[in-house]
Amino acid sequence: MSLLQLNQATIRFGGLVAVNEVSFKIEPGQLFGLIGPNGAGKTTCFNLITGVYTPTSGEILFEGKPIQGTPANKIATKGIARTFQNIRLFGALSVLENVVVGGFLRHKVGLSQALAFLPPAIRETDALKAEAMKLLKIMDLEEVANARSRDLSYGMQRRLEIARAMATQPKLLLLDEPAAGMNPQEKEELMNTVKRLRDEHGKTVLVIEHDMRFVMNLCENIVVLDHGEEIAQGPPSEIRSDPKVIEAYLGEAV
Amino acid sequence: MFWGVRLGSVVLAVAFCFLLQTLALQVESSTDLPGIRLFALAGLYVTLAVSLNLINGITGQFSMGHAAFYMVGAYTGGALSNAILANNPSLQNPAGAAIMMVCGGIGAAIAGLIVGLPSLRLRGDYLAVVTLGFGEIVRIIVINNQPLGGSYGMNVRPKFEFVWLIWLLAIGVIACSRNLLKTAHGLSFLAVREDEIASSAMGVNVTKVKVVAFVLGAAFAGMAGGLYANLETLITPNTFPMDLSFIILTMVVLGGTGSITGSAVAAVVLFYLPEQLRNMGPVTGAQLAGTTLALGLMVYGLKKLADHFHGARSKKTGLMIGVIVTGALLSFVLGLGLAAAFPELAKRSFEANQLRMVIFSGTLIALMLLRPEGIFAHHEFSWSWVKSLTGAKTPKTEVSA
Repeated sequence: MSLLQLNQATIRFGGLVAVNEVSFKIEPGQLFGLIGPNGAGKTTCFNLITGVYTPTSGEILFEGKPIQGTPANKIATKGIARTFQNIRLFGALSVLENVVVGGFLRHKVGLSQALAFLPPAIRETDALKAEAMKLLKIMDLEEVANARSRDLSYGMQRRLEIARAMATQPKLLLLDEPAAGMNPQEKEELMNTVKRLRDEHGKTVLVIEHDMRFVMNLCENIVVLDHGEEIAQGPPSEIRSDPKVIEAYLGEAV
Repeated sequence: MFWGVRLGSVVLAVAFCFLLQTLALQVESSTDLPGIRLFALAGLYVTLAVSLNLINGITGQFSMGHAAFYMVGAYTGGALSNAILANNPSLQNPAGAAIMMVCGGIGAAIAGLIVGLPSLRLRGDYLAVVTLGFGEIVRIIVINNQPLGGSYGMNVRPKFEFVWLIWLLAIGVIACSRNLLKTAHGLSFLAVREDEIASSAMGVNVTKVKVVAFVLGAAFAGMAGGLYANLETLITPNTFPMDLSFIILTMVVLGGTGSITGSAVAAVVLFYLPEQLRNMGPVTGAQLAGTTLALGLMVYGLKKLADHFHGARSKKTGLMIGVIVTGALLSFVLGLGLAAAFPELAKRSFEANQLRMVIFSGTLIALMLLRPEGIFAHHEFSWSWVKSLTGAKTPKTEVSA
C-alpha cells in the first residue's frame, strides 16, 4: 500500500484551475521530488495534501484512507507534517519552544492540570523539551536553543522549520523549498540531513525544490508540474532527458 | 519538595491578601479615603486586565467587550445573591461570597461561549467587531429589562467587604496565566497568536485554543463581576460602559501585550492615577503651562535618547534618569518664570479635578510615544530582567535536556 496517493486531485479557484487531475503515488521510505516552474501549482499541491485547501474533485489517500476535507490539525495528527516556503515560525517564541509546539499534538495531560501546574503537566512539558532538544541536535541548532526564532539566520530558520515538523513525529514529511536562500555548502549539509532523516529515522520525504542539482541528487522519484498539469514522472535520469520537461522548465539538459 | 514550595506560595499569597485587607481597613479608619473600595477595586481591575491579557496578549484574539463579561458576572452574582444569600444569614460569610463569585464566572463563561464559538472560527478582526457589539447588546438588554432593575440598576444584598477574597481571585488569575505559560499548553496558545496556519499544520486545534482562552478570560472577568455586585450593592448598566472595556484594553496594551506582570502593574497604576488626581488642589495657569512645556521637552528628550543612543545599557539608564530629573526641575523653574513674565497666567487658577481626565490621557499619549511596546514589553518581571536593564550581564540559562 502506498503511503500517499493522489487520484486526479483537482482544485479550482473561480475560473483558474490551479491543480488539474494530478496523480502520483509515494511509497514508504521514498525521497520524492515535486518540481516545476513558478506558479505550476506545487505549493497548492502541498496545501491540498495538508488540508489547507479541500480539492474540488479527486481523491487524496494517506495509508489507503481518504483525507481530503479533513482539517489541517487532524491531518498533522495522522502523520503528515510540512514546512513552509515563506518561513512561518512562531517568531516571538524561542527555538526550543517552536519545536515543543510541534510535539504538543501528542499531549495527554489536560488543560486544568496545566493551569494548576500539577506534576503531570510539568513532567510532560519537560519530556517534550527533552525530545525537542534531541531534534535540535539532529538539525544542528542546539547552540541557539534559547534564542528567539525571529533572530535566527535564514538558513537556520529553514532548518528549524524541519525540526519543528519532525517534532510531530510524521510518517510523511513535506518540505517546501527547504534549500531556498542557502549557500552551496549549506545545501550540501541539508541534503545529507534529509537523507539521514530517511535512512536513520525512517521518514518518507516529499520535497519541492528549484535547485536542480539538489533535487536530482536527492530524490529517487520526481513529478513535474506545469500550469497545474502533471507533465512527467519518473527517476531523475528520465526526467533530465524528457523533452516536455526540458521545454517547460529545464531549458536545456542539465 | 514540590508540594512544600506549592504550599509555601499559597500560604504567602493568602498572607498577602490578609495584609491588604488590614491595610484597607487601616486606610478606611485613619484617613478620609474610601480605603476598602480603593483596595477592592484595584484588585478587580488587576483581575480584569490579566484575564483580558489571556485573550488579547497570550492568544492574540482582539476582544473589545471585556466589560460585558464583567457585567454579566455582576448581574448573575447580584440576582442570585438577592435570591439566595439575602434571606439566608448562614451564607452571609466568605463562603457565600465565593459561591457568588463562581456563579458570576459560570454566567460569563456561558456568555463567552455563545459569543466566541461562532466568531472565533473566523480569522482576523471579526472578533473585535462582534465583542464590541456584544458589549452594547448586553447593556441595552439590561436597560430594557425591568426584573433586573432597568436603567435604575439593581440593589444587591448583602454587602460584602472581603478585600482579601478579591485579591485572592486576582492572584489566582495571575497564577493561572503564569502556570499556563510554563507548560506546553501555553506554548500552543502563543503559537496561535504567532501564526494560525503554522499552528494548525503542527496539529494545534486553533479554534479550540481560541475558544478556550476566550471562555477562560470571560469566566475570570465574570468572577470579578460576581464579587463586585456584593461590594457595591448597587449595579447599574452605566457602571459598565464601553469606556470600561477600553480602559481594560489600555491596561493590557500599556503593560505590554502578553506580559502578565505588565498587565497587573498597569491595572493598578491606571486605576490609582485618576483617583489620586481627584485629590489635587488648585493650580495656577503658570504652573500648568510650565509643567506641560517641561513634560513635552522631557518626552522629546527621552525619545531622542531612545532612538539615537546606542551605548552601554547602564549609561543609557543614567542619562534617562538625568532627563527626567532635569524635566522635573524645569517644570518648577518654568512655572515661576512664566508667572513672573505673564502675570495674567499667574492669576488664573484651575481645579486639577476638572483636568483629571486630560492629564490621564496626556500621560497615556506620552507613555505610548516613549514605549509603544508597553511598559514591560513582552517581558515578565524577574530580577534577571531588572539586572539586564541596568546593564549587568545575566547568566545564560542552560536548557535541561
